[in-house]
Amino acid sequence: MDVRETSLTIPAQIDQLNVASGFVRKIAEELGFSASDLHQIELAVYEACANIVQHAYAHQLNGQIHIMVRAEQGRRIVITLIDTGAAFDPRTIPAYDPQRVTEADTQVSGLGLFLIQRMMDDVCFESCVSDNRAGQSGRFNRLTLIKNL
Amino acid sequence: MTSSLSITSQSLADQSVVMLSVAGRLDANTVSQLERALMDAQLSGYRVIVIDLGELTYISSSGLRVLLAGRNNARKRGSTVMLCNLQPAVQEILEMVGFSAIFPIFASREQALAAALTLSDHEH
Repeated sequence: MDVRETSLTIPAQIDQLNVASGFVRKIAEELGFSASDLHQIELAVYEACANIVQHAYAHQLNGQIHIMVRAEQGRRIVITLIDTGAAFDPRTIPAYDPQRVTEADTQVSGLGLFLIQRMMDDVCFESCVSDNRAGQSGRFNRLTLIKNL
Repeated sequence: MTSSLSITSQSLADQSVVMLSVAGRLDANTVSQLERALMDAQLSGYRVIVIDLGELTYISSSGLRVLLAGRNNARKRGSTVMLCNLQPAVQEILEMVGFSAIFPIFASREQALAAALTLSDHEH
């Protein structure tokens, strides 16, 4: 299987979200995803990075988002987003329910996460701790998004 | 990739209907433009606001939120927001999030305009 891995690091800022989603879209295009899938992948990455900026780095300046893309020719794209912001558990956000969009819902919560889950075939969130050689431990969040060809 | 959005506003039917033609990408960087345009339309007293999304290529959750807030604010003032001319990718997302059940959506600008004129006539 032909596998190619590419990565990009962006500042965790709203004006960088299109850079992240455009970077992944270009790789997905080369893998041969349909126009509809490309739109979905681009939007899922955009929303995932937006959540990192707004939640994980809500109280932190100078955060970064590391984006790793594994392009598995003829099979799938695996997108991994890593940040070192606050632990963010998507399950703590009230779930968006498309059947219950009423005028009371001017502050819609969970919409970005709902879109990510609907657009991708597999979504996995992990809050991790790593140890380095100096004996220091660091915490990071890892979000994995998978779309099958 | 950069975000860009343009909105053209056209007043119709003796100031009772406004057509907002939205082109480009509606995301966190550009959404304030639509927010402002919707607010202006509501403050100007239009009974029907038709949003032509024919040239909209991308919409994120922040764009969806502004459409919903615009629709809800309009309803409070007794006016209506209609959508028309959606590209397939945008239509797919609106259907996914349930907006197709709460917005009047028309296939073409002409159909939306006809419905808007009928609605504004009824309300006069």
